[in-house]
Amino acid sequence: MKSISVLGWELPPVFSGGLGIHTMNLYTKLSNFLNINIYVPDIVLPSGYYPFKAITVNLSKYYGSYYRSDDFFDLVQEYNEILIENFNPKDVKLIHAHDWITFKAGVELKNIYHIPLIITVHSTEYDRSGNFNPQKRIMDIEKYGIENADKIITVSNYTKEIIVRNYNANKKKIKTIYNGVNSELYDTGKKDYSLKKKVLYFGRLTSQKGPKFFLEAALKVLNNMKDIKFVIAGEGEKMEELKILAGEYLEKNIIFTGFVKFHVARQLYNDSDVFILPAVSEPFGMTVLESMVSGTPAIISKTTGVGEALKNVLKVDFWDSDLLSEYIISILNYKGLRKTIGENGKIESLKFTWEDAALKTLIVYGDYL
Amino acid sequence: MKSVVFYFQMHQPRRIKEYRRSEVSHNHDYFWEEKNKEILERIIEKCYVPMTKVLIENDIKSSISISGVLLEQLLDMNSSVIDLLKEYFKSGKGEILGETYYHSLSSIWDEEEFKRQVEKHIDTLSRTFGIIPSTFRNTELIYNDKISQMVKDLGFETIITEGTDEIISKNSPNFIYKTISGLNLFLRNYRLSDDISFRFSNRSWNEYPLFADKYAKWIFMTEGDVINLFMDYETFGEHNWKETGIFDFMRALPNELKKYGIDLFTINEAVKNKGKKYELGINKTISWADTERDLSAWLGNEMQIEAFEMMKTLKNTKNKDLWGLLQTSDHFYYMSTKHFSDQEVHEYFNPYHSPYLAFIYYTNILEDFYKTFLD
Repeated sequence: MKSISVLGWELPPVFSGGLGIHTMNLYTKLSNFLNINIYVPDIVLPSGYYPFKAITVNLSKYYGSYYRSDDFFDLVQEYNEILIENFNPKDVKLIHAHDWITFKAGVELKNIYHIPLIITVHSTEYDRSGNFNPQKRIMDIEKYGIENADKIITVSNYTKEIIVRNYNANKKKIKTIYNGVNSELYDTGKKDYSLKKKVLYFGRLTSQKGPKFFLEAALKVLNNMKDIKFVIAGEGEKMEELKILAGEYLEKNIIFTGFVKFHVARQLYNDSDVFILPAVSEPFGMTVLESMVSGTPAIISKTTGVGEALKNVLKVDFWDSDLLSEYIISILNYKGLRKTIGENGKIESLKFTWEDAALKTLIVYGDYL
Repeated sequence: MKSVVFYFQMHQPRRIKEYRRSEVSHNHDYFWEEKNKEILERIIEKCYVPMTKVLIENDIKSSISISGVLLEQLLDMNSSVIDLLKEYFKSGKGEILGETYYHSLSSIWDEEEFKRQVEKHIDTLSRTFGIIPSTFRNTELIYNDKISQMVKDLGFETIITEGTDEIISKNSPNFIYKTISGLNLFLRNYRLSDDISFRFSNRSWNEYPLFADKYAKWIFMTEGDVINLFMDYETFGEHNWKETGIFDFMRALPNELKKYGIDLFTINEAVKNKGKKYELGINKTISWADTERDLSAWLGNEMQIEAFEMMKTLKNTKNKDLWGLLQTSDHFYYMSTKHFSDQEVHEYFNPYHSPYLAFIYYTNILEDFYKTFLD
């Protein structure tokens, strides 16, 4: 089998975001066809058995500063340098780097060893900053990766357009490959569509994900309908600000759960009438598919990447909490609407598989193997 | 001798606007007038005017139904189509059919309302064209024995419906039958009808391109008394553009048929001149819609059923006309969520691009209607 090397950041069970899930799922499938070496930092040792080779590089001396964002950039710089030092080029046909965290090492390894480089853009600084005050030094690294990669994979055409527009990426190099969803984890069987009076937000509480617009819509709904519960699941820098906005409704109608583990998240999807993601800029939106797999209808912003491939969701402009509140009320009022969106949405979401993502990735690799 | 019976459906709904929940209790204008006008003007120009001229100029006999909802829009616009149709009906070549004024589903749930709508339609036809129809065609050919009895009770003599696979497996669609209620019954020959309406401009069809001589030969080779070619009027010029040669096909067809000794009949002429076969009972509700040929185009998902049930509860309104306009079957058609090719057809016609939005706008309007027009 041909060998490829992946420059990664995290692997389950240790991860903070979607990148680890993506890495695990994609390369589990691809390991059927290729020898795969995945480089990850040893910040916390990845545990468990992987169907690919996980190579850890020693970054633990910096561990203490991992969660402090002002040092995070330095930590990433360090990681890239160590990656280059530790990289073993023997028989490697292709390097695949994921997000800005590994782009620099990817480009330099390409230049040193003349191995083709593929990058995947899971999100950009433009998205993460909620289009507000992006860090130039990170955007520079993203641009460096985008310019020097032989091929670029984006997780949506929405992201493709962002990197073309904001990073001047060459359109011809880009291929959109949608993420899969682990449907067996979120499919809880036949959903009961009787009214639960629960509306769900599940995601980090950052300006990127738009929790403020969820809250605005919640207040508008509560003006018309009493005893509806709006559950805000997740944690993040906006928590306190949101709690203040919730005002008199806090705890009674607007409930903050803080960080939730997988089995709680699964339950929350299932127990809600509708799931909302009003993201300002979301490259993909894995939670949308998770919600749909559980049979729960979703209302998402037009700036949520996966929405471009979905028919069985309702879409609003992220800032339009008036319309969002109207859609929420319609879904709460009409069981037929809940059930029809929910059931059709479930069927639609099951089309997003990691097998499909792996196959399409393999086709991109094909030119270089 | 064998005859071809053309029947054309003319209908355009009054589509509701993208009515927001915030408008409930404030805005009682429900219809998307700009859109309706835009679509109708296009269809008038591309189909209604040129096709009616083709019928007149080539002495093509046919039977036509015009929904009340379309007729009132044409009258409002002072459209020249009305005069062309008058000319056509006056010539004796064209015949007009009765139906529910609002192109509604009333036949399947409320006899009283059904009767009101059919009578309103007859009244409009007699005032506009001076004609009282004797043939009935229900909305999208929805039919069962019970409906045919209601139609008989309203004084009609003939009714037309779909020749579904189940029916034609035992009864050829190419004869006139009797309904249990005693009406003359015509069954659509869907294969030969769809050759024109669906396949005519389909380049991947192995019979493409279809010319009148070949088609006339197919008719000649088909056994029976009447070949019932029933389709949307919009087939001509709208679903198949002028450039496909659809009008040339129609111009050439009468002569090509004549070569085989086949003539064109209106429905009443066929009733007068052809024998009637045995009595045919149709218990199950059928229609010409989608591949299922049942009610699932309008009532196929729970959302459609919920909207339909909600519409029914408004029966006690004094504003029956407005309520009637909200019964037009198209409103429910736009809420369909079928899969594969049928859904493509639904989407093609859906002005809202989403069945869920179609439902939301519709139920918003019903909420306003409930608050405003129900005592």
